[in-house]
Amino acid sequence: MFENVQFSSLSDFFAMGGYAFNVWSVYLLFVVFFAINLAVPVIRKKQILREQKRRLVLAQESRVRRETGNDTVL
Amino acid sequence: MWLWFSKLGSPKWFYELSGKWLPWLIAVMSLLLIIGIVWALLFVPPDYQQGNTIRIMYIHVPFASISLAFFPLMAVAGTITLVWRMKLADMVAKTAAPLGAWFTALALISGSIWGSDIWGTWWIWDGRLTSMLLQFFLLIGVISLRSALEDTEAASKACAVLSIVGCINVFVIKFSVDWWNTLHQPAGSFSLADDAPNPPEVWVPLVVMILAIYCFFAVSLILATRNEILVRERRAQWVEDLACNS
Amino acid sequence: MSAVTTTTGAAFIATLRRDLLIAYKKKHDVVNPFMFFLIVATLFPIGISPEPERLGEIAAGVLWIAALLAAMLSMDSLYRSDFEDGSLEQLLLSPHPLYFMVLAKNIAHWLVSGLPVVLVSPLIAYMLNLPDEAYLAVFLTLLIGTPVLSLLGSIGVALTVGLGSRGLILAVITLPMSVPVLIAGTMAVQQTLNGAPLLGYLAILGALLLGSLALAPLASAAALRITVN
Repeated sequence: MFENVQFSSLSDFFAMGGYAFNVWSVYLLFVVFFAINLAVPVIRKKQILREQKRRLVLAQESRVRRETGNDTVL
Repeated sequence: MWLWFSKLGSPKWFYELSGKWLPWLIAVMSLLLIIGIVWALLFVPPDYQQGNTIRIMYIHVPFASISLAFFPLMAVAGTITLVWRMKLADMVAKTAAPLGAWFTALALISGSIWGSDIWGTWWIWDGRLTSMLLQFFLLIGVISLRSALEDTEAASKACAVLSIVGCINVFVIKFSVDWWNTLHQPAGSFSLADDAPNPPEVWVPLVVMILAIYCFFAVSLILATRNEILVRERRAQWVEDLACNS
Repeated sequence: MSAVTTTTGAAFIATLRRDLLIAYKKKHDVVNPFMFFLIVATLFPIGISPEPERLGEIAAGVLWIAALLAAMLSMDSLYRSDFEDGSLEQLLLSPHPLYFMVLAKNIAHWLVSGLPVVLVSPLIAYMLNLPDEAYLAVFLTLLIGTPVLSLLGSIGVALTVGLGSRGLILAVITLPMSVPVLIAGTMAVQQTLNGAPLLGYLAILGALLLGSLALAPLASAAALRITVN
Protein backbone atom coordinates (compact mmCIF):
# COMPACT_ATOMS: atom_id res chain seq x y z
CA MET A 1 0.00 0.00 0.00
CA PHE A 2 2.65 2.50 0.99
CA GLU A 3 4.63 2.03 -2.19
CA ASN A 4 1.70 3.78 -3.89
CA VAL A 5 2.28 7.01 -1.98
CA GLN A 6 3.12 9.62 -4.60
CA PHE A 7 5.64 11.55 -2.52
CA SER A 8 9.09 10.37 -1.50
CA SER A 9 9.51 12.67 1.49
CA LEU A 10 7.51 14.94 3.75
CA SER A 11 8.98 18.12 2.28
CA ASP A 12 8.11 16.74 -1.13
CA PHE A 13 4.54 16.35 0.09
CA PHE A 14 4.36 19.92 1.32
CA ALA A 15 5.90 21.26 -1.89
CA MET A 16 3.19 19.56 -4.02
CA GLY A 17 5.44 19.63 -7.06
CA GLY A 18 5.56 23.41 -7.08
CA TYR A 19 1.82 23.88 -6.59
CA ALA A 20 1.93 24.20 -2.81
CA PHE A 21 0.03 27.45 -2.74
CA ASN A 22 -2.83 26.30 -4.97
CA VAL A 23 -3.35 22.91 -3.39
CA TRP A 24 -2.88 23.86 0.23
CA SER A 25 -4.94 27.04 0.09
CA VAL A 26 -7.92 25.10 -1.28
CA TYR A 27 -7.61 22.40 1.38
CA LEU A 28 -7.12 24.99 4.10
CA LEU A 29 -10.20 26.85 2.90
CA PHE A 30 -12.16 23.62 3.00
CA VAL A 31 -11.03 22.78 6.53
CA VAL A 32 -11.91 26.26 7.78
CA PHE A 33 -15.31 26.18 6.09
CA PHE A 34 -15.96 22.68 7.39
CA ALA A 35 -15.08 23.60 10.97
CA ILE A 36 -17.10 26.83 10.96
CA ASN A 37 -20.09 25.19 9.38
CA LEU A 38 -20.28 22.55 12.08
CA ALA A 39 -19.21 24.69 15.05
CA VAL A 40 -21.54 27.64 14.47
CA PRO A 41 -24.82 25.64 14.61
CA VAL A 42 -23.66 23.82 17.74
CA ILE A 43 -22.77 27.09 19.51
CA ARG A 44 -26.00 28.65 18.29
CA LYS A 45 -28.03 25.78 19.70
CA LYS A 46 -26.51 26.23 23.15
CA GLN A 47 -27.20 29.94 22.93
CA ILE A 48 -30.84 29.39 21.93
CA LEU A 49 -31.43 26.96 24.78
CA ARG A 50 -29.75 29.28 27.28
CA GLU A 51 -31.94 32.20 26.27
CA GLN A 52 -34.96 29.97 26.33
CA LYS A 53 -34.18 28.85 29.85
CA ARG A 54 -33.65 32.42 31.03
CA ARG A 55 -36.99 33.44 29.56
CA LEU A 56 -38.74 30.59 31.33
CA VAL A 57 -37.08 31.38 34.64
CA LEU A 58 -38.09 35.05 34.36
CA ALA A 59 -41.68 34.07 33.55
CA GLN A 60 -41.69 31.71 36.54
CA GLU A 61 -40.39 34.41 38.89
CA SER A 62 -42.94 36.99 37.82
CA ARG A 63 -45.71 34.44 38.26
CA VAL A 64 -44.52 33.64 41.79
CA ARG A 65 -44.30 37.36 42.63
CA ARG A 66 -47.84 37.96 41.41
CA GLU A 67 -49.22 35.04 43.43
CA THR A 68 -47.50 36.12 46.66
CA GLY A 69 -48.76 39.68 46.22
CA ASN A 70 -45.39 41.36 45.96
CA ASP A 71 -46.29 43.17 42.75
CA THR A 72 -46.93 46.57 44.37
CA VAL A 73 -44.15 48.03 42.22
CA LEU A 74 -46.19 47.23 39.14
CA MET B 1 -49.54 7.62 3.74
CA TRP B 2 -51.23 10.91 4.52
CA LEU B 3 -50.71 10.38 8.21
CA TRP B 4 -47.05 9.69 7.61
CA PHE B 5 -46.76 12.84 5.52
CA SER B 6 -48.28 15.12 8.13
CA LYS B 7 -46.19 13.46 10.79
CA LEU B 8 -43.08 14.14 8.74
CA GLY B 9 -44.05 17.77 8.60
CA SER B 10 -44.19 18.05 12.36
CA PRO B 11 -41.08 19.86 13.60
CA LYS B 12 -41.02 17.92 16.84
CA TRP B 13 -40.99 14.58 15.07
CA PHE B 14 -38.24 15.74 12.75
CA TYR B 15 -36.21 17.06 15.67
CA GLU B 16 -36.35 13.74 17.49
CA LEU B 17 -35.70 11.61 14.42
CA SER B 18 -32.81 13.75 13.18
CA GLY B 19 -31.33 13.62 16.67
CA LYS B 20 -31.22 9.83 16.37
CA TRP B 21 -29.73 9.87 12.89
CA LEU B 22 -27.16 12.60 13.32
CA PRO B 23 -24.46 10.58 15.12
CA TRP B 24 -24.57 7.90 12.42
CA LEU B 25 -24.48 10.49 9.64
CA ILE B 26 -21.55 12.27 11.27
CA ALA B 27 -19.72 8.96 11.65
CA VAL B 28 -20.22 8.08 7.98
CA MET B 29 -19.20 11.58 6.95
CA SER B 30 -16.00 11.52 8.99
CA LEU B 31 -15.03 8.09 7.70
CA LEU B 32 -15.61 9.06 4.07
CA LEU B 33 -13.80 12.37 4.51
CA ILE B 34 -10.72 10.82 6.09
CA ILE B 35 -10.50 8.11 3.43
CA GLY B 36 -11.18 10.60 0.65
CA ILE B 37 -8.73 13.29 1.73
CA VAL B 38 -5.88 10.90 2.51
CA TRP B 39 -6.46 9.15 -0.80
CA ALA B 40 -6.65 12.40 -2.74
CA LEU B 41 -3.58 13.94 -1.15
CA LEU B 42 -1.29 10.93 -1.00
CA PHE B 43 -2.25 8.21 -3.43
CA VAL B 44 -3.71 9.84 -6.52
CA PRO B 45 -1.07 9.97 -9.26
CA PRO B 46 -0.29 13.48 -10.52
CA ASP B 47 -1.99 14.36 -13.78
CA TYR B 48 0.28 14.30 -16.82
CA GLN B 49 -0.83 17.85 -17.70
CA GLN B 50 -1.82 19.47 -14.45
CA GLY B 51 0.57 17.80 -12.06
CA ASN B 52 -0.42 18.00 -8.42
CA THR B 53 -3.13 20.61 -8.95
CA ILE B 54 -5.35 17.65 -9.83
CA ARG B 55 -5.74 17.25 -6.05
CA ILE B 56 -7.80 20.44 -5.98
CA MET B 57 -10.40 18.62 -8.04
CA TYR B 58 -11.31 16.46 -5.03
CA ILE B 59 -12.56 19.55 -3.19
CA HIS B 60 -13.81 21.60 -6.10
CA VAL B 61 -15.91 19.07 -8.00
CA PRO B 62 -17.95 17.83 -5.00
CA PHE B 63 -18.74 21.41 -3.99
CA ALA B 64 -19.62 22.43 -7.53
CA SER B 65 -21.87 19.41 -8.01
CA ILE B 66 -23.78 19.93 -4.78
CA SER B 67 -24.15 23.65 -5.46
CA LEU B 68 -26.36 22.79 -8.41
CA ALA B 69 -28.77 21.00 -6.08
CA PHE B 70 -29.71 24.02 -3.98
CA PHE B 71 -32.20 25.73 -6.25
CA PRO B 72 -34.11 22.52 -7.07
CA LEU B 73 -34.13 21.74 -3.34
CA MET B 74 -35.45 25.18 -2.45
CA ALA B 75 -38.02 25.04 -5.24
CA VAL B 76 -39.35 21.69 -3.99
CA ALA B 77 -39.43 22.96 -0.41
CA GLY B 78 -41.15 26.13 -1.63
CA THR B 79 -43.81 24.14 -3.49
CA ILE B 80 -44.50 22.09 -0.37
CA THR B 81 -44.73 25.31 1.66
CA LEU B 82 -47.22 26.87 -0.76
CA VAL B 83 -49.36 23.79 -1.37
CA TRP B 84 -49.40 21.96 1.96
CA ARG B 85 -48.31 24.79 4.29
CA MET B 86 -45.80 22.48 5.87
CA LYS B 87 -43.75 24.46 8.38
CA LEU B 88 -40.79 22.12 8.22
CA ALA B 89 -40.35 22.64 4.46
CA ASP B 90 -40.03 26.37 4.96
CA MET B 91 -37.47 25.90 7.73
CA VAL B 92 -35.39 23.74 5.40
CA ALA B 93 -35.74 26.35 2.62
CA LYS B 94 -34.68 29.10 4.97
CA THR B 95 -31.54 27.33 6.14
CA ALA B 96 -30.70 26.05 2.65
CA ALA B 97 -30.35 29.53 1.10
CA PRO B 98 -27.33 30.81 3.09
CA LEU B 99 -25.78 27.35 3.05
CA GLY B 100 -26.15 27.32 -0.72
CA ALA B 101 -24.50 30.71 -1.00
CA TRP B 102 -21.53 29.46 1.02
CA PHE B 103 -21.20 26.22 -0.96
CA THR B 104 -21.44 28.13 -4.25
CA ALA B 105 -18.85 30.65 -3.08
CA LEU B 106 -16.47 27.88 -2.07
CA ALA B 107 -16.95 26.13 -5.42
CA LEU B 108 -16.17 29.41 -7.18
CA ILE B 109 -13.10 30.21 -5.07
CA SER B 110 -11.64 26.72 -5.26
CA GLY B 111 -12.27 26.71 -9.01
CA SER B 112 -10.56 30.04 -9.31
CA ILE B 113 -7.48 28.84 -7.41
CA TRP B 114 -7.37 25.72 -9.56
CA GLY B 115 -7.85 27.78 -12.71
CA SER B 116 -5.16 30.28 -11.75
CA ASP B 117 -2.69 27.58 -12.67
CA ILE B 118 -4.23 25.63 -15.53
CA TRP B 119 -5.74 28.66 -17.28
CA GLY B 120 -3.07 31.08 -16.16
CA THR B 121 -5.70 33.47 -14.82
CA TRP B 122 -7.93 33.69 -11.77
CA TRP B 123 -11.09 34.38 -13.66
CA ILE B 124 -12.37 33.77 -17.15
CA TRP B 125 -15.90 34.19 -18.42
CA ASP B 126 -16.32 30.49 -18.90
CA GLY B 127 -19.88 29.18 -19.13
CA ARG B 128 -19.76 27.22 -15.91
CA LEU B 129 -18.14 30.02 -13.92
CA THR B 130 -20.56 32.62 -15.18
CA SER B 131 -23.69 30.62 -14.49
CA MET B 132 -22.36 29.68 -11.07
CA LEU B 133 -21.74 33.36 -10.30
CA LEU B 134 -25.28 34.25 -11.39
CA GLN B 135 -26.66 31.46 -9.24
CA PHE B 136 -24.75 32.96 -6.34
CA PHE B 137 -26.39 36.35 -7.02
CA LEU B 138 -29.84 34.75 -7.16
CA LEU B 139 -29.23 33.04 -3.82
CA ILE B 140 -28.21 36.37 -2.31
CA GLY B 141 -31.48 37.75 -3.69
CA VAL B 142 -33.50 35.05 -1.89
CA ILE B 143 -31.61 35.66 1.36
CA SER B 144 -32.07 39.42 1.23
CA LEU B 145 -35.77 39.08 0.40
CA ARG B 146 -36.19 36.82 3.43
CA SER B 147 -34.44 39.27 5.71
CA ALA B 148 -36.31 42.27 4.30
CA LEU B 149 -39.80 40.90 4.92
CA GLU B 150 -40.61 41.11 8.59
CA ASP B 151 -43.71 38.92 8.68
CA THR B 152 -42.49 35.30 8.86
CA GLU B 153 -45.54 33.92 7.09
CA ALA B 154 -45.26 36.36 4.17
CA ALA B 155 -41.49 35.92 4.00
CA SER B 156 -41.77 32.15 3.75
CA LYS B 157 -44.33 32.29 0.94
CA ALA B 158 -42.57 35.10 -0.94
CA CYS B 159 -39.28 33.20 -0.77
CA ALA B 160 -41.08 30.06 -1.95
CA VAL B 161 -42.33 31.92 -5.04
CA LEU B 162 -38.89 33.42 -5.67
CA SER B 163 -37.22 30.03 -5.28
CA ILE B 164 -39.53 28.44 -7.84
CA VAL B 165 -39.01 31.31 -10.28
CA GLY B 166 -35.29 31.24 -9.56
CA CYS B 167 -35.07 27.49 -10.16
CA ILE B 168 -36.61 27.86 -13.63
CA ASN B 169 -34.35 30.84 -14.22
CA VAL B 170 -31.21 28.98 -13.19
CA PHE B 171 -31.88 26.42 -15.91
CA VAL B 172 -32.55 29.10 -18.54
CA ILE B 173 -29.40 30.96 -17.45
CA LYS B 174 -27.39 27.77 -17.64
CA PHE B 175 -28.48 27.04 -21.21
CA SER B 176 -28.13 30.62 -22.41
CA VAL B 177 -24.72 31.09 -20.85
CA ASP B 178 -23.43 27.85 -22.34
CA TRP B 179 -24.71 28.97 -25.71
CA TRP B 180 -23.22 32.45 -25.30
CA ASN B 181 -19.93 31.01 -24.26
CA THR B 182 -19.58 28.45 -27.05
CA LEU B 183 -20.14 31.26 -29.54
CA HIS B 184 -17.66 33.54 -27.83
CA GLN B 185 -14.90 31.02 -27.34
CA PRO B 186 -14.36 28.59 -30.18
CA ALA B 187 -13.32 25.02 -29.47
CA GLY B 188 -9.94 24.50 -27.90
CA SER B 189 -10.57 26.24 -24.60
CA PHE B 190 -9.86 24.08 -21.65
CA SER B 191 -12.87 22.65 -19.90
CA LEU B 192 -12.81 21.67 -16.27
CA ALA B 193 -14.09 18.13 -16.62
CA ASP B 194 -11.80 16.39 -19.03
CA ASP B 195 -13.76 14.07 -21.22
CA ALA B 196 -10.83 11.71 -21.59
CA PRO B 197 -11.54 8.39 -19.88
CA ASN B 198 -10.06 8.62 -16.43
CA PRO B 199 -8.52 5.61 -14.73
CA PRO B 200 -10.21 4.27 -11.60
CA GLU B 201 -7.41 5.45 -9.29
CA VAL B 202 -8.51 8.97 -10.25
CA TRP B 203 -12.30 8.72 -10.15
CA VAL B 204 -12.87 6.32 -7.26
CA PRO B 205 -11.49 8.79 -4.66
CA LEU B 206 -13.55 11.48 -6.38
CA VAL B 207 -16.71 9.45 -5.81
CA VAL B 208 -15.68 8.97 -2.15
CA MET B 209 -15.19 12.72 -1.76
CA ILE B 210 -18.49 13.54 -3.48
CA LEU B 211 -20.31 11.19 -1.08
CA ALA B 212 -18.43 12.71 1.87
CA ILE B 213 -19.39 16.26 0.87
CA TYR B 214 -22.99 15.19 0.36
CA CYS B 215 -23.00 13.86 3.93
CA PHE B 216 -21.40 17.11 5.08
CA PHE B 217 -24.14 19.05 3.32
CA ALA B 218 -26.82 16.88 4.96
CA VAL B 219 -25.26 17.31 8.41
CA SER B 220 -24.97 21.10 8.03
CA LEU B 221 -28.52 21.40 6.77
CA ILE B 222 -29.93 19.25 9.57
CA LEU B 223 -27.98 21.10 12.28
CA ALA B 224 -29.15 24.49 11.04
CA THR B 225 -32.75 23.30 10.56
CA ARG B 226 -32.82 21.94 14.12
CA ASN B 227 -31.81 25.38 15.42
CA GLU B 228 -34.49 26.98 13.29
CA ILE B 229 -37.04 24.59 14.79
CA LEU B 230 -35.96 25.51 18.32
CA VAL B 231 -36.35 29.22 17.55
CA ARG B 232 -39.72 29.01 15.84
CA GLU B 233 -41.25 26.46 18.19
CA ARG B 234 -39.98 28.19 21.32
CA ARG B 235 -43.50 28.45 22.75
CA ALA B 236 -44.13 24.72 22.37
CA GLN B 237 -44.10 22.60 25.51
CA TRP B 238 -41.47 20.17 24.28
CA VAL B 239 -38.99 22.95 23.51
CA GLU B 240 -39.53 24.45 26.95
CA ASP B 241 -38.89 21.08 28.54
CA LEU B 242 -35.76 20.73 26.47
CA ALA B 243 -34.54 24.14 27.59
CA CYS B 244 -35.23 23.42 31.24
CA ASN B 245 -33.33 20.14 31.14
CA SER B 246 -30.35 21.58 29.32
CA MET C 1 -74.94 51.63 -10.55
CA SER C 2 -76.73 48.48 -11.47
CA ALA C 3 -75.09 45.16 -10.71
CA VAL C 4 -73.67 44.46 -14.13
CA THR C 5 -71.23 41.59 -14.24
CA THR C 6 -68.30 42.42 -16.45
CA THR C 7 -66.49 39.85 -18.49
CA THR C 8 -62.81 39.21 -17.88
CA GLY C 9 -62.03 40.73 -21.26
CA ALA C 10 -63.79 43.96 -20.35
CA ALA C 11 -61.98 44.09 -17.01
CA PHE C 12 -58.68 43.51 -18.80
CA ILE C 13 -59.35 46.42 -21.17
CA ALA C 14 -60.53 48.62 -18.33
CA THR C 15 -57.35 47.99 -16.29
CA LEU C 16 -55.21 48.66 -19.34
CA ARG C 17 -57.01 51.91 -20.11
CA ARG C 18 -56.90 53.06 -16.52
CA ASP C 19 -53.14 52.57 -16.25
CA LEU C 20 -52.49 54.28 -19.58
CA LEU C 21 -54.69 57.20 -18.52
CA ILE C 22 -52.83 57.57 -15.23
CA ALA C 23 -49.52 57.54 -17.08
CA TYR C 24 -50.85 60.18 -19.46
CA LYS C 25 -51.80 62.38 -16.52
CA LYS C 26 -48.51 61.82 -14.70
CA LYS C 27 -46.11 62.47 -17.53
CA HIS C 28 -42.96 61.79 -15.52
CA ASP C 29 -43.60 58.04 -15.60
CA VAL C 30 -43.18 58.20 -19.38
CA VAL C 31 -40.39 60.73 -19.54
CA ASN C 32 -38.14 59.48 -16.75
CA PRO C 33 -37.18 56.01 -18.06
CA PHE C 34 -36.69 57.53 -21.47
CA MET C 35 -34.41 60.28 -20.16
CA PHE C 36 -32.55 57.79 -18.01
CA PHE C 37 -31.89 55.67 -21.10
CA LEU C 38 -30.52 58.70 -22.97
CA ILE C 39 -28.30 59.78 -20.10
CA VAL C 40 -26.82 56.32 -19.44
CA ALA C 41 -26.08 55.91 -23.14
CA THR C 42 -24.38 59.30 -23.12
CA LEU C 43 -22.10 58.30 -20.27
CA PHE C 44 -20.48 55.45 -22.19
CA PRO C 45 -18.68 57.51 -24.86
CA ILE C 46 -17.47 59.81 -22.10
CA GLY C 47 -16.41 56.96 -19.85
CA ILE C 48 -14.86 54.65 -22.41
CA SER C 49 -13.77 56.43 -25.55
CA PRO C 50 -15.20 58.85 -28.10
CA GLU C 51 -13.44 57.00 -30.94
CA PRO C 52 -16.06 55.89 -33.50
CA GLU C 53 -14.54 52.42 -34.04
CA ARG C 54 -14.45 51.48 -30.39
CA LEU C 55 -17.93 52.88 -29.84
CA GLY C 56 -19.28 50.90 -32.77
CA GLU C 57 -17.99 47.69 -31.18
CA ILE C 58 -19.71 48.23 -27.86
CA ALA C 59 -22.80 50.09 -29.11
CA ALA C 60 -25.15 47.09 -29.05
CA GLY C 61 -24.12 46.14 -25.55
CA VAL C 62 -24.46 49.71 -24.32
CA LEU C 63 -27.97 49.99 -25.77
CA TRP C 64 -29.03 46.74 -24.15
CA ILE C 65 -27.58 47.54 -20.73
CA ALA C 66 -29.07 51.04 -20.80
CA ALA C 67 -32.46 49.57 -21.74
CA LEU C 68 -32.14 47.02 -18.93
CA LEU C 69 -31.32 49.68 -16.36
CA ALA C 70 -34.11 51.93 -17.60
CA ALA C 71 -36.58 49.04 -17.31
CA MET C 72 -35.32 48.34 -13.79
CA LEU C 73 -35.70 51.95 -12.75
CA SER C 74 -39.21 52.28 -14.11
CA MET C 75 -40.39 49.04 -12.45
CA ASP C 76 -40.77 50.83 -9.14
CA SER C 77 -43.83 52.70 -10.39
CA LEU C 78 -45.58 49.51 -11.51
CA TYR C 79 -47.47 48.66 -8.31
CA ARG C 80 -46.36 51.28 -5.80
CA SER C 81 -48.94 54.03 -6.24
CA ASP C 82 -51.68 51.41 -6.59
CA PHE C 83 -50.47 49.80 -3.39
CA GLU C 84 -50.40 53.11 -1.55
CA ASP C 85 -53.89 54.25 -2.54
CA GLY C 86 -55.43 50.80 -1.99
CA SER C 87 -56.49 50.14 -5.57
CA LEU C 88 -54.17 47.14 -5.68
CA GLU C 89 -56.25 45.50 -2.98
CA GLN C 90 -59.35 46.22 -5.02
CA LEU C 91 -57.71 44.46 -7.93
CA LEU C 92 -56.97 41.42 -5.77
CA LEU C 93 -60.59 41.32 -4.61
CA SER C 94 -62.00 41.45 -8.14
CA PRO C 95 -63.67 38.24 -9.31
CA HIS C 96 -61.59 38.06 -12.46
CA PRO C 97 -58.47 35.92 -12.70
CA LEU C 98 -55.60 37.96 -11.32
CA TYR C 99 -53.39 36.65 -14.12
CA PHE C 100 -55.16 38.83 -16.69
CA MET C 101 -55.24 41.89 -14.45
CA VAL C 102 -51.51 41.62 -13.81
CA LEU C 103 -50.92 41.05 -17.52
CA ALA C 104 -52.91 44.20 -18.36
CA LYS C 105 -50.86 46.23 -15.90
CA ASN C 106 -47.62 44.83 -17.31
CA ILE C 107 -48.64 45.61 -20.88
CA ALA C 108 -49.64 49.15 -19.93
CA HIS C 109 -46.36 49.59 -18.11
CA TRP C 110 -44.34 48.38 -21.08
CA LEU C 111 -46.25 50.64 -23.49
CA VAL C 112 -45.48 53.59 -21.25
CA SER C 113 -41.88 52.94 -20.24
CA GLY C 114 -40.48 50.26 -22.55
CA LEU C 115 -41.78 51.27 -25.95
CA PRO C 116 -40.40 54.83 -25.92
CA VAL C 117 -36.96 53.43 -25.16
CA VAL C 118 -37.25 51.01 -28.08
CA LEU C 119 -38.42 53.77 -30.41
CA VAL C 120 -35.55 56.09 -29.55
CA SER C 121 -32.91 53.33 -29.75
CA PRO C 122 -32.06 53.89 -33.48
CA LEU C 123 -31.16 57.49 -32.67
CA ILE C 124 -28.82 56.49 -29.87
CA ALA C 125 -27.48 53.71 -32.07
CA TYR C 126 -26.56 56.34 -34.65
CA MET C 127 -24.87 58.50 -32.05
CA LEU C 128 -22.88 55.49 -30.84
CA ASN C 129 -21.82 54.72 -34.40
CA LEU C 130 -23.49 51.29 -34.58
CA PRO C 131 -22.70 49.62 -37.93
CA ASP C 132 -25.54 50.03 -40.43
CA GLU C 133 -26.28 46.31 -40.77
CA ALA C 134 -27.10 46.04 -37.08
CA TYR C 135 -29.86 48.66 -36.84
CA LEU C 136 -32.68 46.27 -37.64
CA ALA C 137 -31.28 43.65 -35.27
CA VAL C 138 -30.99 46.10 -32.37
CA PHE C 139 -34.46 47.51 -32.95
CA LEU C 140 -36.21 44.15 -33.30
CA THR C 141 -34.41 42.47 -30.39
CA LEU C 142 -35.21 45.41 -28.12
CA LEU C 143 -38.81 45.32 -29.30
CA ILE C 144 -39.17 41.65 -28.38
CA GLY C 145 -36.77 41.70 -25.43
CA THR C 146 -37.94 44.66 -23.35
CA PRO C 147 -41.42 43.18 -22.68
CA VAL C 148 -39.65 40.15 -21.17
CA LEU C 149 -37.71 42.51 -18.89
CA SER C 150 -40.98 44.14 -17.82
CA LEU C 151 -42.64 40.79 -17.14
CA LEU C 152 -39.68 39.49 -15.11
CA GLY C 153 -39.30 42.76 -13.25
CA SER C 154 -42.95 42.62 -12.32
CA ILE C 155 -42.27 39.49 -10.23
CA GLY C 156 -39.57 41.27 -8.30
CA VAL C 157 -41.72 44.34 -7.70
CA ALA C 158 -44.67 42.21 -6.62
CA LEU C 159 -42.47 40.41 -4.09
CA THR C 160 -41.18 43.65 -2.58
CA VAL C 161 -44.24 45.88 -2.92
CA GLY C 162 -44.77 46.43 0.77
CA LEU C 163 -41.17 47.26 1.60
CA GLY C 164 -39.97 50.75 2.32
CA SER C 165 -36.49 50.79 0.85
CA ARG C 166 -36.45 48.27 -1.91
CA GLY C 167 -34.41 49.76 -4.74
CA LEU C 168 -31.38 47.60 -4.13
CA ILE C 169 -33.19 44.40 -3.23
CA LEU C 170 -35.26 44.75 -6.39
CA ALA C 171 -32.06 45.01 -8.44
CA VAL C 172 -30.51 42.00 -6.71
CA ILE C 173 -33.59 39.91 -7.44
CA THR C 174 -34.30 41.09 -10.97
CA LEU C 175 -30.97 41.71 -12.69
CA PRO C 176 -29.65 38.13 -12.61
CA MET C 177 -32.97 36.95 -14.00
CA SER C 178 -32.66 39.17 -17.06
CA VAL C 179 -29.31 37.70 -18.12
CA PRO C 180 -30.78 35.27 -20.69
CA VAL C 181 -32.57 38.15 -22.44
CA LEU C 182 -29.41 40.23 -22.43
CA ILE C 183 -27.43 37.34 -23.88
CA ALA C 184 -29.98 36.63 -26.62
CA GLY C 185 -30.23 40.31 -27.51
CA THR C 186 -26.55 41.13 -27.74
CA MET C 187 -25.68 37.81 -29.40
CA ALA C 188 -28.27 38.49 -32.09
CA VAL C 189 -26.67 41.83 -32.90
CA GLN C 190 -23.11 40.52 -32.90
CA GLN C 191 -23.94 37.50 -35.00
CA THR C 192 -25.81 39.57 -37.60
CA LEU C 193 -22.66 41.65 -37.90
CA ASN C 194 -20.82 38.40 -38.63
CA GLY C 195 -23.37 37.64 -41.34
CA ALA C 196 -25.53 35.09 -39.52
CA PRO C 197 -29.30 35.19 -40.16
CA LEU C 198 -31.26 37.19 -37.61
CA LEU C 199 -34.37 35.03 -37.64
CA GLY C 200 -33.01 32.29 -35.38
CA TYR C 201 -32.19 34.77 -32.61
CA LEU C 202 -35.55 36.44 -32.93
CA ALA C 203 -37.11 33.00 -32.55
CA ILE C 204 -35.19 32.44 -29.32
CA LEU C 205 -36.21 35.84 -27.98
CA GLY C 206 -39.78 35.12 -29.08
CA ALA C 207 -39.69 31.85 -27.15
CA LEU C 208 -38.44 33.72 -24.06
CA LEU C 209 -41.25 36.24 -24.53
CA LEU C 210 -43.94 33.57 -24.86
CA GLY C 211 -42.58 31.64 -21.90
CA SER C 212 -42.55 34.71 -19.68
CA LEU C 213 -45.97 35.81 -20.95
CA ALA C 214 -47.38 32.48 -19.86
CA LEU C 215 -45.56 32.10 -16.54
CA ALA C 216 -44.40 35.48 -15.20
CA PRO C 217 -47.87 36.99 -14.55
CA LEU C 218 -48.77 33.80 -12.64
CA ALA C 219 -45.76 34.31 -10.38
CA SER C 220 -46.49 38.04 -10.06
CA ALA C 221 -50.10 37.31 -9.14
CA ALA C 222 -49.05 34.74 -6.53
CA ALA C 223 -46.49 37.19 -5.15
CA LEU C 224 -49.07 40.01 -4.93
CA ARG C 225 -51.48 37.78 -3.03
CA ILE C 226 -48.73 37.07 -0.51
CA THR C 227 -47.33 40.55 -0.01
CA VAL C 228 -50.54 42.58 -0.13
CA ASN C 229 -52.82 41.86 2.78
